[in-house]
Amino acid sequence: MTRKNINTSAFILLGFVAFGLPLLLRSPTYLHIIILLYLYAYLTTSWNLVGGFAGVLPLGHSAFIGIGAYASTILSLQYGISPWIGMIVGGILAAIVGILIGFPTFKMRGAYFALATIAFGEGIRVMVENIDNLGPLNINGPRGLQIPPTNIGFGNYMFASKEPYYYIILVMLVGVLALTYFISRSKLGYYLNAGGEEPEAAMSLGVNVAQAKLIAMAMSSFLTALAGTFYAQFTLYIHPKSVMSLDFSFEIAFIALIGGRGSIAGPVLGALLLRPVSDFSRIYFGSTLPGLHLIIFGTVLILVMIFQPRGLQEPLSKFYNTLLDRISGQTPQREVKHEYS
Amino acid sequence: MNILEINNLVKDFGGLRAVDTLSLSIEEGEILGMIGPNGAGKSTAFNCIAGVYAPTKGDVYFTGKKINGVRPWNLCKNGLARTFQIVKPFRSKSVLYNVMVGSFVTTDKTAVAEEKALNVLKILSFENKKDERAGNLTIAELKRLEVARALATEPKLLLFDEVMAGLRPAEVDEMVQIIKNLRDQGITIFVIEHIMRAIMALSDRIVVIHFGKKIAEGSPQEVASDENVIKAYLGDEYVVS
Repeated sequence: MTRKNINTSAFILLGFVAFGLPLLLRSPTYLHIIILLYLYAYLTTSWNLVGGFAGVLPLGHSAFIGIGAYASTILSLQYGISPWIGMIVGGILAAIVGILIGFPTFKMRGAYFALATIAFGEGIRVMVENIDNLGPLNINGPRGLQIPPTNIGFGNYMFASKEPYYYIILVMLVGVLALTYFISRSKLGYYLNAGGEEPEAAMSLGVNVAQAKLIAMAMSSFLTALAGTFYAQFTLYIHPKSVMSLDFSFEIAFIALIGGRGSIAGPVLGALLLRPVSDFSRIYFGSTLPGLHLIIFGTVLILVMIFQPRGLQEPLSKFYNTLLDRISGQTPQREVKHEYS
Repeated sequence: MNILEINNLVKDFGGLRAVDTLSLSIEEGEILGMIGPNGAGKSTAFNCIAGVYAPTKGDVYFTGKKINGVRPWNLCKNGLARTFQIVKPFRSKSVLYNVMVGSFVTTDKTAVAEEKALNVLKILSFENKKDERAGNLTIAELKRLEVARALATEPKLLLFDEVMAGLRPAEVDEMVQIIKNLRDQGITIFVIEHIMRAIMALSDRIVVIHFGKKIAEGSPQEVASDENVIKAYLGDEYVVS
């Protein structure tokens, strides 16, 4: 067997497991946990387009989740528009907001950019909390919006069991991973990486750094808003604290940093490692030690940054490559190419 | 035809005049050298040409068009490439990746960009390092990477900002040969350099600046025996009167 064959079969196997999981796992609780795991992997992969490739640290992506959730929910509650269409509307709205935010903030570096995006995310949340009606739109302030589970069916993005949600988020995750794979090998991916690492050098090599970042930001916020709609339809109740809380932004950043920013596998790996921690700590210590998972995340983050500053995907992809070499019986390759993996 | 023309270029930083009414021109296919003591304004002049700074006064023309204030990436697309005195590699990426960023200027396809980049690496006999992470390269290799990336953008005019500083004599000779080969391929070259041996061997013409002003211009021999140049570099007492 050659390396490529093993790789392909591993992927096919993974695909089978992912698609067959709901058949094996009958417990709705565990399915719920896995759906949230996929959701976070999806969110972090979308975030990664800006936070990973473009080399900045946005911490306001919760705002885009909120925009997606509120846009589709308001449209369906007040105007009877299917959340599927609302999802696209929310995405476009988020992309426009993303560009408006990116335009002034991408000139900032490091912590200043992160702070500006936190301020933006919190600002939007506080605004939504204090607005009951925005023109004809009923936002309902801090009380949030409830989606009555009356019209169950695919067209209404509403289901009685968890399985359909599982498959929707799985397809979304696979889609965004494929997109990231494609972008990382395209001109845009090269330009984002170059502009993120050495903007001055990139500019002199023909890269319009600001433009590349804005394109990435628009895509990232669009994709993030789609997850907002998913979250709204999944929980059927949204309020500012649930869909716009900074916790979302922080957990996304934690997952990305620990898994490996700017890599394709990193966000998925990070979600696989961290989501169970946060779910189980909430199940077992939710009443006695709330917030325990954040302390664990912080500790893990410190350790990862000290020993594996490029995230856990690096040692694991090296391990995977050695494993491939062993199985295929080929001589190890000299150096793993650093741009991918 | 003059590929680059600078008329009375002035660049002020606050009260400091870094470049003072500098005029010069480069013919197509020429290698023009620029020398001057540290802080003479050489790199500032380069940055004004390359679009990093907008000139305070004066005009810069590239292939007959005024390029004052044109952004660096647009200049690059029009055929003006430059290297940095302090190397700026994309450290976490491979050499090939670095060069491909440059070759994407002329294409949108990754496969084409890769082919072009490999071709540039071959010209610079740098192929053996293509998978090396740029952060692991030696200073000589980093300088060569700067040249490779700039060359990958397929420029008409190349600005080299001290690409030989920090190299060993044998490496300098190699770089001189590389630059001469580039000129033979029809690329015009404007080079700032401190290593006299290199710039004397390389340049068709040399411009000397001091305190932002041009103090001499001519063939390497003329410049080397110019009274003002000797004064600027060595001090008054060395001038044979």
